[in-house]
Amino acid sequence: MPLLRVVKRQEPLGWGSCLVLIAAICLSLLLGGIILFIGGTSPIEGLVVLFKGAFGNRYALEDAIIKATPIFLCSLGVALAFKLQVWNIGAEGQFALGAVGATWVALSLPEAPSYIVLPLMVVMAAAAGGLWGFIPAFLRQKLKTNEIIVTLMMNYIAILILDYLVYGIWKDPASYGFPMTAEFSEAAIVGKIGATNYSWGLVHCLVLGLIFWVFLKYSRLGYEIKASGDNVRAAKYAGIPYDRLVMLVMVLSGALAAWAGFLEASSTINRLQPSIMAGYGYTAIVVAWLARLNPFYIGVASFLLAALRVGVEGLQLDLQVPAAFGGIIEGLILLTVLAGGLFTSYRIVVARKAHEH
Amino acid sequence: MNIEILIPLLAAAVQSGTPILYATLGEIFTERSGILNLGVEGTMIIGALSGFLVAKATGNPYIAFVAAGLAGTCAASIHGLVCLVFQGNQVVSGLALTILGVGVANYLGTPYVGLTAPGFDPLPIPLLSELPIVGAIFFSQDLLVYLTYIIPVLIWIFLYNTRFGLSLRAAGEYPAAATAAGLKVVGYRWLGVLGGGFFMGLGGAYLSLAYTHLWTNNLTAGRGWIAVALVIFAFWRPGRAVFGAYLFGGIMALQLRLQASGTQIPSSLLLMLPYALTVAVLVLSSWWRGKTDEPGALGTNILPAD
Amino acid sequence: MRFSKILTTALLGVGLCVTQVAAEDMNIGFVYVSPIGDAGWSYAHDQGRLELEKMDGVTTSYVEAVAEGPDSERVMLNMARKGYDVIFATSFGYMDPMLKVAKQFPETIFMHCSGFKMADNMGNYFGRMYQARYLSGMVAGAMTKSNIIGYAAAFPIPEVIRGINAFTLGAQSMNPEVTVRVVWTKTWYDPATEKEAAKSLLDVGADVIAQHQDSPAPQEAAQEKGVYSIGYNSDMSQAAPKAHLTAPIWNWGPFYVETVKQVKEGTWKAASTWPGLKEGIVDLAPMSDMVPQEVQDKVMAKKEAIKGGEKVFVGPLKDQEGAEKVAAGAAMSDEELLGMTWFIQGVIGTTE
Repeated sequence: MPLLRVVKRQEPLGWGSCLVLIAAICLSLLLGGIILFIGGTSPIEGLVVLFKGAFGNRYALEDAIIKATPIFLCSLGVALAFKLQVWNIGAEGQFALGAVGATWVALSLPEAPSYIVLPLMVVMAAAAGGLWGFIPAFLRQKLKTNEIIVTLMMNYIAILILDYLVYGIWKDPASYGFPMTAEFSEAAIVGKIGATNYSWGLVHCLVLGLIFWVFLKYSRLGYEIKASGDNVRAAKYAGIPYDRLVMLVMVLSGALAAWAGFLEASSTINRLQPSIMAGYGYTAIVVAWLARLNPFYIGVASFLLAALRVGVEGLQLDLQVPAAFGGIIEGLILLTVLAGGLFTSYRIVVARKAHEH
Repeated sequence: MNIEILIPLLAAAVQSGTPILYATLGEIFTERSGILNLGVEGTMIIGALSGFLVAKATGNPYIAFVAAGLAGTCAASIHGLVCLVFQGNQVVSGLALTILGVGVANYLGTPYVGLTAPGFDPLPIPLLSELPIVGAIFFSQDLLVYLTYIIPVLIWIFLYNTRFGLSLRAAGEYPAAATAAGLKVVGYRWLGVLGGGFFMGLGGAYLSLAYTHLWTNNLTAGRGWIAVALVIFAFWRPGRAVFGAYLFGGIMALQLRLQASGTQIPSSLLLMLPYALTVAVLVLSSWWRGKTDEPGALGTNILPAD
Repeated sequence: MRFSKILTTALLGVGLCVTQVAAEDMNIGFVYVSPIGDAGWSYAHDQGRLELEKMDGVTTSYVEAVAEGPDSERVMLNMARKGYDVIFATSFGYMDPMLKVAKQFPETIFMHCSGFKMADNMGNYFGRMYQARYLSGMVAGAMTKSNIIGYAAAFPIPEVIRGINAFTLGAQSMNPEVTVRVVWTKTWYDPATEKEAAKSLLDVGADVIAQHQDSPAPQEAAQEKGVYSIGYNSDMSQAAPKAHLTAPIWNWGPFYVETVKQVKEGTWKAASTWPGLKEGIVDLAPMSDMVPQEVQDKVMAKKEAIKGGEKVFVGPLKDQEGAEKVAAGAAMSDEELLGMTWFIQGVIGTTE
């Protein structure tokens, strides 16, 4: 005989959901504080340092925004596929191939001016990443092969392709044998906006995010994606070319992640090297879900997650907390925020008597 | 390739497939109840560390092995709590569990890195191990490998031939109908999550107690993800999981042996083999015979009635 | 109760003051590429950092598991902003980010490990691990009966390749018939894969296993097969007492202490330093009793010779195809060593 019952809310919680979110984060910080305490660090001091490192000054904000850029783009990509109920967990591999495609152009055209080389890099990156999205989509529609396993395996393959190239034919002779390509020419680098530390990549993000939103909301294709995502059978019945739609969406999804790979290679590292792979493609999945596939919330969530990661570095530096603590606090926040979601869509009521059906 | 190379290769295939097999079986068990747990990697590593620490403290690998399973159950219970009680999204919860589990294991495990603990050593079965070829491949392994010859059969019997198993599958296949028939669907899903977590923990423990006898941060090194993939590869059937795990382990062992024999193929390309072949086999088998046993309600929560 | 609370607060206050004073100490920051719990490369540097902690007026801190590229630039930038006096970064990929940060903070001293770029306030350093590798190769060469030595290696980068070559030269000096077989795992710490790599080498007939990874798993494989092994990083004899012969090991403490002393005294100048056996940065772990005394004597004699200035990479050196790369009598320069990407004759495997 249950004492508590959950009842669906008739109307959205509104501002209350902010409270739930804050409560969830507080709970996870409390748990994190306990872990810090066990590890011999003062929990209050630790959380203050974490917060300062993440949001405390201009530098911290800047760092977080820069770090959020690739996560945001990858997340837009997976969100597009998820809208269609296609489980693309291959952003990591599509990101890698995007970086490879862009690098290929940058290395082949060392003399070309910016207005030629940069667009070509984008096109090549999108083509390579798009191909990496197309293959699993094609297999899914034509042979009914599960896309989760194919995209996951193709992540490993893409990273090994990247490895093969930078350890082999693309290795810079001037790098003393270390696995990295030569530095890109000035023209192949996406530069910074004026005197700020922000790269023009940030503008790419804003524009792509806006296009994403408009595309889904107002275009016919966007409508078809939404309709097919809600109910495949009904969509097919209504004459939507579902197979082609899946392939197109996966190509676009791959291209978005690849764009992030292009920016990371061109703007932040200025070359290709194995450490370009930082797991953004997997982070993107978490971000996309947390943000309920909404581009605006994806922006917010990528920023917060990036800020958390930046803050943890401060925690390490100032208080010698092990890097693994970052994973703990990140996991705790995600789990509590997720669990808190219950309270935004349901009410808890005390049941006076057991309900019989 | 001659027989002197082939037999050790196949024996290595069995051994390196075993940790993945435990985890794959665990994930099959969980997914059959309708819950998708992407936290396999995190659950495994918690099991690996717990098993190692208990072995170090008690000196008894048997206790350690069971403790690792229980630790896996505990880790998976977080996923159960978030998804079954709080209706959280299963994909995010699983990913978060992986992040959390790896973080916790590395945080707590750092002081023990590089240390060794008592574990399981190869234990050839008398008579059987003397059989030609098969003996060296299957019956000269350690006790934990022998267990995996029985566990898939037990899981199969449980899922297909017991009332409990039938109900568990119903909870994953048609939760609404199961509820209507009077089954406590949420209870069976808990069983799926906790039972599956137990096997994932065992898979982790295989790495720290038998495959090697030591602890290092990130000991599982992505094997949990392979397990997630192999569940699909196995069409959610325990028998095919054995095949998938040995195939994957075998190709991993093969590429190392190709290198040892002095091949000139770059190692990056050789390392692609296990992943590429997994996709290839999956494509072939889905082309040839598309039917899988994917649970109908996999990944969807049971919403409370309005 | 209340009194004790006040006392605690007061003590805390004193504690804070003490930290304030400590803040005027010299601040040294370290950037590591992996967690220090890897028991390997980063761990060895961190042991050196702990030596610095023992010095008066020095406080140290570190950030671990920092990815090369933008993350490392941010971490170093933050250290410089927070007023760290000396920053050590211990991975090759930190070179360019460090150079960028060094230009922005001319007052801070930057030290980069394993690279080659410099600035007025940025020096670089590395250890001649290959010297100790050579000695461990001598032991392996003397102990093998099958004349096949297995080498489980992490990534085909110059540091690893140089180590394999030095090891092979050492082995060949004791036993010209020796071949060294290399398996790349593409991991720094994945014990199961590394053990499997060692087993695959054992299966092709290797009877001594050497390694360039951070986990002692290959040692275990050797012990289970009843053959010998050579460790790495630190004395790994605990992991496989019946197999472990010796290990080339790191000892960064003296170098870090010396560098910080120079900075304190104001004598520090940006330079390229590459200390080795002579300075005690690298060493050979005590040899096991299983190594015959006669072999031990030869190894120790060679160690003294290298300390006295004898070079390891001296021609004639041929590559795997037998083409002469270094003429007889010529020694390889440090620059050539730093960028060594080819295997010498006697190594079986590929550098890709």
